[in-house]
Formats: sequence, C-alpha cells, structure tokens
Amino acid sequence: MEKFHTTCIYCGCGCGLFLHVEDGRAVGASPSPLHPMSRGRLCIKGWLAGDFVGHPDRLKHPLMRRGERLARTSWEEAVETTASRFRKMGDEFGPNSLGILTSAKGTNEENYLLMKLARAALKTNNVDHVARLCHAPTVAGLGYALGSGAMTNPISSLARADALLVVGSNTTEQHPLVASYILQAQSRGAKLIVFDPRRTQIADLADIYLCPRLGTDIAWINAMLNVIVKEGLADENFLSSRTEGFEALKEAVCRYTPEKAEEISGIPAQKLKEAARAYASAGRAAIVYAMGITQHITGTDNVQALANLALVTGNLGREGTGIYPLRGHQNVQGACDMGALPDFYSGYQKVSLSRPKFEEAWSTDLPGDPGLTAVEMMKAAEEGRLKGLLVVGENPMMSYPDISQVKRALASLEFLAVSDIFPTETTELADVVLPAACFAEKDGTFTSTERRIQRIRYAVPPPSEARPEWMWICELMGKFGVSADYSSPAEVMEEIARLTPIYGGVRYHRLGIAGLQWPCPAEDHPGTGVMHVEKFPIGRARLRPVEHQEPGEAADQDYPFLLTTGRSLYHFHTGTMTRRTSLLDREVPVPVLEVNSQDAQQLGIRTGQRVTVESRRGKLCLEAKVTPDISRGTLFLPFHFHEAPANALTNSALDPQSKIPELKVTAVRIRRAIE
Amino acid sequence: MMAVLSRDNLVPLLKRLSEKMEVVAPILVEGTPVFATWKGEPLALEENPLCSPVEFLLPQKEVLFSYVQYSGRYTFEAALWRARLIFGIRPCDLKAISILDMLFGAEPHDEAYLARRRSTVLVAYNCIRPGVDCSCLQMDAGPGGREGFDLQLTEIGSGYLTEAGSPAGAKMLEEQAEFFSEAREEHLQEKEKLLKEAREMLEPREDRSPSAIKNAMEKADWEALGKRCLACGSCTLVCPVCHCFNILDQGVPDGQRIRCRDCCLLSGFSRMASGANPRATQGERLKNWYLDKFEYIPANTGLWGCVGCGRCSRVCLGEMDRWALEVKR
Repeated sequence: MEKFHTTCIYCGCGCGLFLHVEDGRAVGASPSPLHPMSRGRLCIKGWLAGDFVGHPDRLKHPLMRRGERLARTSWEEAVETTASRFRKMGDEFGPNSLGILTSAKGTNEENYLLMKLARAALKTNNVDHVARLCHAPTVAGLGYALGSGAMTNPISSLARADALLVVGSNTTEQHPLVASYILQAQSRGAKLIVFDPRRTQIADLADIYLCPRLGTDIAWINAMLNVIVKEGLADENFLSSRTEGFEALKEAVCRYTPEKAEEISGIPAQKLKEAARAYASAGRAAIVYAMGITQHITGTDNVQALANLALVTGNLGREGTGIYPLRGHQNVQGACDMGALPDFYSGYQKVSLSRPKFEEAWSTDLPGDPGLTAVEMMKAAEEGRLKGLLVVGENPMMSYPDISQVKRALASLEFLAVSDIFPTETTELADVVLPAACFAEKDGTFTSTERRIQRIRYAVPPPSEARPEWMWICELMGKFGVSADYSSPAEVMEEIARLTPIYGGVRYHRLGIAGLQWPCPAEDHPGTGVMHVEKFPIGRARLRPVEHQEPGEAADQDYPFLLTTGRSLYHFHTGTMTRRTSLLDREVPVPVLEVNSQDAQQLGIRTGQRVTVESRRGKLCLEAKVTPDISRGTLFLPFHFHEAPANALTNSALDPQSKIPELKVTAVRIRRAIE
Repeated sequence: MMAVLSRDNLVPLLKRLSEKMEVVAPILVEGTPVFATWKGEPLALEENPLCSPVEFLLPQKEVLFSYVQYSGRYTFEAALWRARLIFGIRPCDLKAISILDMLFGAEPHDEAYLARRRSTVLVAYNCIRPGVDCSCLQMDAGPGGREGFDLQLTEIGSGYLTEAGSPAGAKMLEEQAEFFSEAREEHLQEKEKLLKEAREMLEPREDRSPSAIKNAMEKADWEALGKRCLACGSCTLVCPVCHCFNILDQGVPDGQRIRCRDCCLLSGFSRMASGANPRATQGERLKNWYLDKFEYIPANTGLWGCVGCGRCSRVCLGEMDRWALEVKR
C-alpha cells in the first residue's frame, strides 16, 4: 500500500489528506496531521474522497453522437471533430458564437489553459464557470470594496475571534472544518451570532440566532450599522485612516432603524440591536458567509453590506477579524484566480486593461469585446446566438437555474462537447464526450477558499482511455495554431506565475504540505495569511451605501410559498461523485422537501408523504419532511437529486452587477400529491 | 526466546524480510508518519501514525470476490491475500488486534478477516516515549506489549531487544540469526527500566481509566454533545478497535462484492428500511459508541473496547473532550 498526500476534492476548505493506494486502486483516505488548516481532521466526505475513483460507471472512452446514441470513438477523432466544428462555426458565425464553461473541479492549470483556449484559440471572451452561480458577487463585491475578492484571513484565524457573525452559511454541513474552528472560538468564549432562514446545526449552537425572511439581508445589515453608528460603536480611527465614503453610508443607514428592519426582515428589533452590539463591541470580530448572501438579485450589494459592517467596525487586517466567504468547490477559488471569467485574465487582470500584456505573452491577438457569463450563455444559446459550447467538468443540466430552459439552450446548440468523469444529465445531450482523469489520476494544483494553493498528485492510473484534461486542451490549442507544448502541469504553473502577479512566486517545488497562500508575488515571498494588514490593494477601502430590494419573485396568491435551495452534508453539488459513494448515498438516498410544521399541519402534510411542489417554471413530486427548523412560508430542497432536481423550479433572474441567478428565492405552491 | 538487534542491522533485516513478503512500516510521507509498504525509506518510529495499521487487516475498502456473468451463469473469483509483515505496531494497536481476533474469530468466523490475519506477521514496537494523548496504561494496553505479537522490539541503548511471542516469531529469529546477537539479563533489565520510566510518564496524567470514563458517561448530557457532533465519523474511522462494515455489490452484470468500513455515528447505520431509527439522535449514536467500547465489547471479549491511543480526541471535529465527555473549554 502506498499513501499519497493530496487535497480533498469536495468543498472549498482544501483539507490535506492521504490517498491510500493498493495495486493501482484507491482503497481509502485518511487525514493529514501536519496540514495547517485541517490538522489531522476530515469530514465524512473527506474520509470517503477516494471512494468514487474506481467506480464502474466512470467514463472510459471518448464518445461521439451517432444519431440518437453516443458511440465509442478514438481520441484523435473526438479532438479533431471538436476542433473542426468549432473552427467552422467560428468562421461562419464569428468567434462570439462559441463559448467555454470551465470547471471548478478542475485544476488551476486546466482552468488557465481553458481560458487561454477560449481567448487565444477561439478568440472569444465567452468563458465562465460555476462561480457565476456561487461567489461571483464576492469577486465583484469584495473586489470593489477591498480591492481583492477573496477570503481576507486564513480559516484558522477564526479560532481567535471574539465574535463570529455567520450569515447564510450552513457551516457544519457545508464546511465542517470551518465549523470546527468556529466551535473552537466559541469554546474559548467567543459569541456566535447566526442569521439563517433555517435553524441549522450552527444556528442551534449559536448564542444569538436570528431568522430573517428570504432576501432581506440588506435591511437587517443596514440596521446593524444604524445601531453601531448611533451607539458610537464605529471604529472612527479605522474609518478615517483606512476607508472612504463613510458620510454617504451613514446617511443611508440612518433610514434603516431596527424597527424598520423588523418590518422588512421579521427580525425583532431588540434582538437585532443585541446582535449589532455583540459584533461591534468584540475586540476581534469575523464575518462568515456563503450562498445565503450571494445567490440573490442583490448578491453583490449583500456582499458590500457585509464589507461595510466589517469596515465600519475596523474588523479587517488582524488575526481573528476579517471576512470569510466560504467557497463551495475545492477549486472554485482557483478557477476564478485563473481568469475563467469573461472579464478577467488570470489574477483578476481586467481584459480591458491587460490585453496587450497577454497578446505579447501568447504572441497572438486577443478579443476585446466583453464575454458572456454562464447564465447569459444559456440565454444566448436558446436565442441562437451561441452555436458551440465546450463544458468541462460541470453539469448545468442539474446545477443551473431553470433547467428546462438550460435543456432548451443546450439542445439549440449546433455542437456541444462535454468532458467529465461520469456520465451526467449534460453528457447525455453532448455531441462529443471526453472521459477525464479525476483528482487521484493527475498532477496539478487546487486553490482553497483561504487562497491556499496546494498540490494534487498522480496516485492511480485513469480508467482505460480517460486522460487528464490538460492534455487534450493542449492538443486542441495546437489545432488552432496556438503553441501549447507543455510537458507537465508544473510547466503550465510556471507560465501562470510569469503572467499572474498574485501567483508570481508559485513553483511546484515550493508547494509542500502547507502549499502557499496568495498573494505570493515572488519566489522568495512566503505567501500571505492575513490580507489588508497595513493597506488595501486599492489604498483606501470603499464604503458604499446599498438599499434593500425585494427578491425577483415574491410570494403571491398563486405561489404563496418561497423555496430556498442548498446542499446536504452527505452530498456534493449534482451528486455525480457522492451518489456513487455508498455510505454517503445511504445516508441521504432520496430528495426530501423541508416544510414548516405549522404550514404542514394546515396543508395536511406529514413526514414521508409525497407532495407536489410547483413554480412558474416547473413541477416536482417528492417526499416531504416536516420540521420546526424552517421559518413559516419557506420550503427547503437540496439540489443534488436527479429524481427531483430543485433547479427545475428555480428562477434565472440575475443580479445586474455579478449576473448571479437568484437561486435562493423561488415562489412556489405546494400540495399533497394525489396517489 | 529473545535476541538483540543492533541499530545498524534493523534496515538490512527488513530488506531481507521484504524479499519474502510485503513489509509494511511507518515511513514519512510529506513529513508525516504513515504505515505504508516499505521500500527502503528511513523508518519513522518517533510517534504512532494517526491511521492505525489495523487497516491492513480490516481495510477501509476491500474486494471480497469478483463475479463474472457468462451465458447467464455466474463464476466467482476469490480475492488473494498476500503475505505481509507489519513492522512497528504499538502495544495499543496490538491490543486492538487481539480484540478484533476475538470478535472476528468467534462463530461464525469472518473468513476474509482471518485470511488476512493468518497471512500477516505482527512485529510490535514498545513505547518508551508515550505520546501526549496516550492513556494506554489506564486501559491496560501499554506502554509495553505482553502478547499477540510474533516479534516485539524494545529500543534499548545498544539496539533493539527482540522477543518472540509466537512459534512463527521464534522461527524468524532462528532463520535470521545472522542479524541478531545474544540477549543477556542486563538487556531485559534495561527494557524493564525503560518501560517503567514510560509508565511513570503516563501515570500522573489525568484519570482516563475505564471507571473514569464510565463515570463521565453516567453524567454526560448526550443531547448537548450530540448537538456539537458534526457526524464526521472520524472517531470510528481512526479507532483501531472499531470494526463495523457494510457490504455492497458494485457492477452489473460483472462486478465485485466489496466490504467497506461503516460508521455507527451515521444515521443510516441504524436506520431501518421503514425510515424508523432506533438511535434517532446524534446524541444517542454517540452514546452507543461509548456503550460499545465500555459495555458491549467487554461483555463479549472480557477486554475494554478502548486501548487509550487518544486518536478519537485528536480527530474530533466537534471540539469535545472525549474522556470527560464535555465541551472543550
């Protein structure tokens, strides 16, 4: 048995683990005691991270559509067909008829190569990935406010906080390792304040738990600021030396009294005052948030509101303080860092400003017109503007909002190529399917939610003809005349480092068990744990007033309930991996809709009974679970299950700034299913 | 039967043995000690790895047999067990193996376990420098091993005092005589002295004896602890005594029957097909884990189901004191 040190494939925590390998098969995993974040601990998904690797369902051969079915083909034909179809469509309809969705599950190197493929070979900025559905508002919101759209401190810093504000994050289930640091801080005496429409485990453990109505976060955050300003809890020193725009903010928040916030959000004014005082009077206070903040049409403003809160109280740039956006995929941070975004090259270098630099480095001309975001690509496909799409390690047929629209969009394409490790709802629609190597079968790096760049290692051979994605991406680039003769991912990283200041000092030989946290501008730079210590990358941080806005869909007479979606501890995203991991699938084998106990009583619904839930876009029939832990009028459904895909119901209304769809609020109606 | 192995002879001895069988030993991977197949790397004997060598007897995932369908008939291909020597097993893990031997050896025999067990040579390594979380002394599982090994090494000044604990071990000593010199009374005295010192290091530690833990269990607020349990299952997966498993068939029409480690802290472990769960809350599941170790296993084997290795405390995501059964402060 051999043991390989690698990085977990599931959430953004980026835990270190050992993969156990015997006779070329992954036979287990175990925690890594010296890893600086996970310290010898793992959640149940991490323990089982190697379980799906040898699953018999793995895609083993390239496939090509022949009429109704997908038939086995050779790698040469698959890559050549993809190249020639893309070339033909590009010539005929222009380069912006093409697009690439990269993978938050892929490596940094693969994401970099895919964005290079889009820009240098296909000549389009139509490149995006699933961050558009999770933390695009963080990239935009924190990017504007602080000058860097990522977690400000290392996760371990949470253990030193005196107050923790957890908003819209089911931390114990989605980021268990982060939760363990929060529990550690609480054991030390820190106050834990949780805002969530569901009484989750972390809410249950909180010192102060508040339950806002869906989509009313700006109202109560502004009201907290109102209390802080009125009661003299603002950090005047920090405000005057490190920030700008306080006067305008002060003026805006003075309208949001706790009483007004109570009207909007349903949070009792007195409780809100208590929470504001607990957060603002702590010596070191931290804000942890996730999709509950970002997946709204006010996503970017929600993030700005939290940044306002941290800035007004001076809670940045020190251990135990900071803003902690929790990213869902193990490399969604890296995919953003690598510029798999329509408006940025790697390292958040704007296309509008840095184009000449990349044209020179890649010795080719690059497109300047703005690209489409992920959900916009679906709309463009449906309208016939987008003709060809390459989807890498992503399953939009389950993860994107309004999947009947996604299906229409993908079916309207002239050509769809999909690379994945398992057959998915999306590969079913593809013209070419490319079998990929998984994290245990290739070298590369992932960047965790705390900006930690870490290695994954080749431990077992890929099944049959499956290959690491960087190999065929290079071949495809070659077919478009872009030189891409990298001998290894390490060589790709050297190019990334050359062109990306925040990754400037990253080399494989430097990536030991602790990896490196960006910004790491030079080879002798140790990386950065706590950011913004002395100053912000933009000099002064920007306070910006934001206003409450009702969600895109309100409950009404026809659709009187609001549905919110999320994940379970035991499953990941569209379930391609966890539903093939026997222990995890046994734990939560079927989708269940959470219904408030009082609502259930009125509707005559009991736990285990089948119900029909219907939105303006779709209808599902599934089991109900009656619980007091969700607020009245609200329903909850995880989106892992193809048996009842939550996104058949969700709304694709977008946040105008970050273009994230409002996955967290959908107006629905519910009734007992007739059987 | 005993002999002394000089420090310089340890690696050559293992090399010789690895010609005959797979040698598993603690080595460093990325600076971390782990049990893995030894290919001549420097040995990492300073501390006991976080993942116990029990995984070589009861793997996280093992193929019991493969099935192949041909013209509507199935043929079965049994898995083959290789001869293996595990070097560097600490007394606590050795004690755990004795417990597993009793449980899996009871009727009906667990043939998959016993086949692996029979083809494995156990070379124990006494703890003269106990770890910070160790309470083996109070569990009667260390710091020195008494039985269950084929060979047992104790690091003494001049090398390793090597004792045979089974006929197979005695035969190995005989066969590999060229690596050993004669053990004298003073070597044995040195071993006893070092182990006594180790016991003295362990003695003053807080009371983590079975009776103390059973007292804590009486007083514990299981529901409050269950609220903090993040259901990571780590305590069951690092525990060298935990042995629950699940069996599944993977692949149609051809495939494999797989046995994988299971975990009683998952609700699915005790949930019935109807959806009813006799251990409905996380607190009840946590309590069951303790009851298994301090009531059920002792009733079945006469031995405590805990060997005091301290691993469950190191890995607990819920920040619980696993001995006092309180929230850590």
